[in-house]
Amino acid sequence: MASETNLPKLDGPSWGAKEAHTLLNHDLPRVDGPDKVTGGARYTHDVRLPGMLYARLLLCPLPSAKVKVDVEPAKKIAGVVEARVVHEGETKFLGQVLAVVAAKTPQQAEDGVRAIRLELEPLKWAVTHEQSLADDAPKVLKNGNVGKSGDKGSAADVEAAFAKCDAVVEASYSVPIQHHACLETHGAVVDYRGGDSATVYSSTQSCFDSAGEFQGALGVKGDVDVVTEYMGGGFGSKFGGGTEGKLAAELSRDLKVPIHLMLSRRDEFLIAGNRSGCVQTIKVGATKDGTLVAVDAKVDKLGGIGGGSNAGQPYIYKATNSHAAIRSVYTHTDSSRAMRAPGHPQASFGIESALDELAYKLGLDLVEFRKKNTTSEFHHRQLDRAAQEIGWLEHKFRTAPDLSDSREKTGIGFALSTWGGGGGESCVVTVEIRPDGSISAKSGTQDLGTATRTYVAAIVAEEFGLKLSDVVARVGHSSYGPACGSGGSQTTASLAPSVKDAAFNARRSFAGALAKSLGCDAADVAFEAGFVIDGKSKKKLAWKDACATLPPAGISAKGEWVKALADNGVHGVQAAKVVVDTRTGRVQVLKMVGVQDCGLPLNRMAIRSQLNGGMIQGLSYGLLEERVIDPDLGYQLNANFEDYKLAGCQEMPELVALIDDEDTRGVIGMAEPAIIPGHSAIANAIHNACGVRIREMPLTADKVLMGLLALKKG
Amino acid sequence: MNEPEEPREPQEIGRWAPSRRGFLKSAGGLAAGGAVGEAALAAGNANLFGDGVERLKGEIELELDINGEKKKVHCEPRATLLDVLRIHLEPALTGTKLVCDNGSCGACTVHVDGKTSYACMLFAADMRNKKIRTIEGLAKNGELTPVQKAFVERDALMCGFCTPGFVMSVTACLEKNPSASLDDVKHACSGNFCRCGTYPHIFQAALDAGKALGGKAGK
Repeated sequence: MASETNLPKLDGPSWGAKEAHTLLNHDLPRVDGPDKVTGGARYTHDVRLPGMLYARLLLCPLPSAKVKVDVEPAKKIAGVVEARVVHEGETKFLGQVLAVVAAKTPQQAEDGVRAIRLELEPLKWAVTHEQSLADDAPKVLKNGNVGKSGDKGSAADVEAAFAKCDAVVEASYSVPIQHHACLETHGAVVDYRGGDSATVYSSTQSCFDSAGEFQGALGVKGDVDVVTEYMGGGFGSKFGGGTEGKLAAELSRDLKVPIHLMLSRRDEFLIAGNRSGCVQTIKVGATKDGTLVAVDAKVDKLGGIGGGSNAGQPYIYKATNSHAAIRSVYTHTDSSRAMRAPGHPQASFGIESALDELAYKLGLDLVEFRKKNTTSEFHHRQLDRAAQEIGWLEHKFRTAPDLSDSREKTGIGFALSTWGGGGGESCVVTVEIRPDGSISAKSGTQDLGTATRTYVAAIVAEEFGLKLSDVVARVGHSSYGPACGSGGSQTTASLAPSVKDAAFNARRSFAGALAKSLGCDAADVAFEAGFVIDGKSKKKLAWKDACATLPPAGISAKGEWVKALADNGVHGVQAAKVVVDTRTGRVQVLKMVGVQDCGLPLNRMAIRSQLNGGMIQGLSYGLLEERVIDPDLGYQLNANFEDYKLAGCQEMPELVALIDDEDTRGVIGMAEPAIIPGHSAIANAIHNACGVRIREMPLTADKVLMGLLALKKG
Repeated sequence: MNEPEEPREPQEIGRWAPSRRGFLKSAGGLAAGGAVGEAALAAGNANLFGDGVERLKGEIELELDINGEKKKVHCEPRATLLDVLRIHLEPALTGTKLVCDNGSCGACTVHVDGKTSYACMLFAADMRNKKIRTIEGLAKNGELTPVQKAFVERDALMCGFCTPGFVMSVTACLEKNPSASLDDVKHACSGNFCRCGTYPHIFQAALDAGKALGGKAGK
């Protein structure tokens, strides 16, 4: 780094030139990697405290019932210390928590749960879209089973516009309910042993915000430190303590012992959230030249007793006339929660499928058609890059699917994404420099596996011309200061500018202090390659020696959000290449390409990890995942990892993660958009390969075969 | 609270699937005991009925060889190796993760006599006289193994919850054959899954580590 860039700037912190970074915009192995590969990283599941009890829940096995709960038999089980009724009477959804048992071991708590006497009077339920909309459906919510429809645009104008179209496609596209499937289940370890303060270990995406919630549940006025040093996956489902957190707090409050309440895998499937399903009827029309003239969409969101989400239609694409009517259809299942890019993957599947059908109908190139109907130059250049990388230009079937008789057929598909990813004033960061040469940055944020710790350390290290390993990033304690919850890809754009600001302020303070002790001008003090340099006299002090001149308290500087360091609005394109075995219906994804902008890439390797992860989750969503509830028995048939399928090693295609480096903006979050388009691109690739359009995810072999049969019959 | 009773299966909530342990308890050779405090030792409680099957009851004491150290542990006969590692050992070894408790995910992968095994599917009592190696047993004196180093350098981890299991699977694979190909690695890790989607970086890390171990990867 040139020494000029290290001079204290009076006009505030700046990222400087993108090419000038020594750490940021590079591949940085994450600083907590060694802890994670040695088993040393302690997650909430791993907290062990003296006298700790393990708690387990009893969930209602029916979607709707009148229940009576007798916990006395549980209290007689060996090791059980406490058993409590949580809910009796009418239940609202499958898996509603009825009782909690605390015991000396998790197995004994499970024994206790099994011993609870339940009296169940089944009530009529609705767990599917059809059941909920049936004439004789039971009322799921007080106000009925259908939410108020949000109407956008004029249905009449759109109807008139269809008359002018050269081609029109109308079909229904549906996506199933998907589970977050966090490997670490939800829960908390609440450590209250009397008095007015407590420590709570919580597997949460919002460490700082959780403190108040646990304080309330514990009924204490003193400090509650929420600790989330490591957490095993959230994907949007881990905001707030939830019922499990509240029950753990109440048990700890009353028994005055630490309570470890983490959900069992089955419970995790039933009550820890999901991505809402969606049924979308979409009608699209275009003129011969490929101009999208009209889009009409009717969308039913399936979010259980929650509202569900959909990003709106037409998603991303511009149509001269559009109308969308979006409503919630309620069922007796737990509420959907935010899940990585809430509403977007659902909207993507609808519009990308419909537009693909329309392009084929008009005989247009699928990439050119997409470019014609989007306005962002980001999307245009990313489409070109993805097309090049996936081999589109060499591909024979760019305007019509392969309808040949060969057994194995290869196809390519595309889809787009968009997201905000901007930040806000939510994080306060403290940078501390000690006379012993140690330097740290502290924030009440959490590292979900996004490498937050690493970029926090890197920003500070770069500011002082230090190595990454010289700086300690301290995160995951609510007591470390205000920070936003990690949702909506807003953490990076909120936190990174605050870290930069704190580092900048610390540098200015340090330069000022050194100017006094060295007798030079603060503006001449530069920090470079482990040294502090007086730019005028060229005198050098090693970092440690410079720190030793500080007073015992060292330097402590705070930083807040600086708008100019962040930006908002990201774009992405993904392409998939698949091979379809027309005899078995098996779909194998050969290659996926993701192109993604993110402003200034803080850690290129971690960004590629995120982008890969998004493509893989999209692949898994597209091909494998679906919550299956038997409509008659009201029982989830796949509430375990044996039957709920996740993509594994054998499903892995070649993955190409590309950062759009033409983007010169400030920092923007990019985790969400990575998961938006993958499944849509795969569905489109299947059609391109063999002419079968699957309009209902997951994209399984049986649907491919049924589609091929229908094609044969004409 | 009254005298503790034997744990028993519920009668009233028949819609619940039978638990795996409950099933094993009724079907297998090991009888589950309940009462903590009986403090009966394995030797005193083992009965041989002439069918060669040892029946254990109450609280048992086991001596296990974990990461080269003999460890004594008290647990119920039904305790799995995973339970023992995570719950009953003092101090607990929590690097091995509990995720599915069902032999589907590989997060609890350990080495038993050098072979990868799911710790959630093994009775701890069956692990006597076997050598158990967990994720904590790989690095010596803070020095990461080539596999661990490669995982860090290639960013083959995100949230990190599946990572110990993958490290154990890759380690066993490369100990068998440092020249393992990409397909070999995929095969070796087919019993593990990752939700964050770190697979491509895991594959790269495994191939790197193979080279570091003297293998000729990708030949």
